Amino acid sequence: MKKNSAVFKSNLSFKFACNKTLPSIELVYETYGEINADKSNAVLVCHAFSGSHEAAGLTSDGNKTGWWDEIIGPGKAIDTEKYFVVSVNNLGSCYGSSGPKSISMEANEPYGSKFPDVCVLDWVNSQKLLMDELKIDCWEMVAGGSLGGMQALQWAVSYPEKIKRAAIIAATAQTSPQNIALNEVARQIIRKDSSFNNGEYITHNTTPKEGLKTARMLGHITYLSETNIQRRFGRKKQAPGTKVAEEVNFEIENYLQYKGDQFSEFFDANSYILMTKAMDEYNLADQFEGSMSKALERIKSKLLIISFTSDWLFPSWHSRRLQKDCILSDVESSFIELEGSYGHDSFLFASPEYSKILKTFLGS
Amino acid sequence: MDSAYLNNWIKDESKVIDLGCGDGSLLRDLMNTKNVHGFGVENDLEKIEKCIENNVPVIQHDLDDGLKDFKHLGFDAAIMASSIQCLRNPKSALIDLLDVATTCVVSIPNFGYWKIRLLMMAGRMPVSSRLPSKWYETKNIHLCTIKDFEELCAELNLKILEKIYLNDHGRPLKKLKRGNLLAAEGVYLIGA
Repeated sequence: MKKNSAVFKSNLSFKFACNKTLPSIELVYETYGEINADKSNAVLVCHAFSGSHEAAGLTSDGNKTGWWDEIIGPGKAIDTEKYFVVSVNNLGSCYGSSGPKSISMEANEPYGSKFPDVCVLDWVNSQKLLMDELKIDCWEMVAGGSLGGMQALQWAVSYPEKIKRAAIIAATAQTSPQNIALNEVARQIIRKDSSFNNGEYITHNTTPKEGLKTARMLGHITYLSETNIQRRFGRKKQAPGTKVAEEVNFEIENYLQYKGDQFSEFFDANSYILMTKAMDEYNLADQFEGSMSKALERIKSKLLIISFTSDWLFPSWHSRRLQKDCILSDVESSFIELEGSYGHDSFLFASPEYSKILKTFLGS
Repeated sequence: MDSAYLNNWIKDESKVIDLGCGDGSLLRDLMNTKNVHGFGVENDLEKIEKCIENNVPVIQHDLDDGLKDFKHLGFDAAIMASSIQCLRNPKSALIDLLDVATTCVVSIPNFGYWKIRLLMMAGRMPVSSRLPSKWYETKNIHLCTIKDFEELCAELNLKILEKIYLNDHGRPLKKLKRGNLLAAEGVYLIGA
């Protein structure tokens, strides 16, 4: 698989939906496969909350594969022998694109908590700049899971002529109060960390690692299903000598702490707050005077809406509601609820049915 | 059901839902010939894949969970081709149908058909080219005759606006008389 990493610098000022502007932005992205002569085989994949542009192949640190490696690659659901896949790190994130860790030219210090409030529409607008830069006229498909699925939906609504298919997976058109509640607990945990310093921890030379860790532990539980952790951990006790901390008794505790520690090593606390806020604020109808039908009536592409049985973060009813709204607005849309025992994270793992449906949709 | 019989019943450009759409071929025909906005409902994943391959929008749903998800979504016509006898509660499906669409096309295999009666006379459950499954494998769990079905429609105040009786080869009988004996299938256009 031909893989390429690059940075796109836009020297035009970028206006966020919140009306703030940045004088310029940078987006790091990867591409997989090769673009054809008339540039008609491009697929955009959008990452979820804590994901990055590293979607397929080995990651830059060399010891992991990209978050959607089971889906993107030669012969896979998104076949890189046929398609040219673009994967962008979102604005406000912390993997290299402009975000709170970037240096503000004006202040000559990191943006920190002053980075503009970013939303799903901003991500799509910035991805559109990259699309123009790559001289791609129309995406064969925009696909993503969770927050990535919201971007796919937003693409279909915001740029109806620029997209042929949208795969909206384990996502929603409107986050629920439960989503917001869980995110707020996570944010509070981060803010209460004494190293957080109101978000200016970089200039204070501190890192709110403990807050990030605990927030991630909570988040991580919501990405898994009860069945999944029952099967994987049960009530097994962590063997002495393998514990990450003395107070740990059960394997599940050890696992969550381990995952939380790992996460807190590389993720940025301000990004955590920004990205979860973007998720909370997502209500497609808000952009169209509260009318979901006004939003959906703009769509000209085909939609594939997928949910998973064990997902309790964005349970199937979110997808069913979206499908219903699509029928009301005469959008060419399909809805499928797939078996998946991994909870919300099911969208990351390729079951034969999931791969086949995605592949068929992309080829239709 | 052959889309040819639906030609007079389904209007051009109308919004149509096919409840139990299988691989979507009936809707595909209607989308090609009458430019309808079609949506299929199906529960079998392999058939759903076929729908997507055929560019037929499809919703995964178990019809036994009822039709309330499809009520008042602006459908002009609902089609239920040879699937009502497979439902756990065909009566409530019939009641709900007119909340799904203004007109409905329903077809049923007629268990009053003389060939079926003969098989039953021989003391066996009917297995034929049209009813290929044995009793323990068949999805047909609520069997009825043309008489039974029309009686239920009358009881529920569902108006049969038009009907066609089909013979064993799927062709319409010239006369409706003695349809309960001579027809292998009944096809109905139902309105309020």
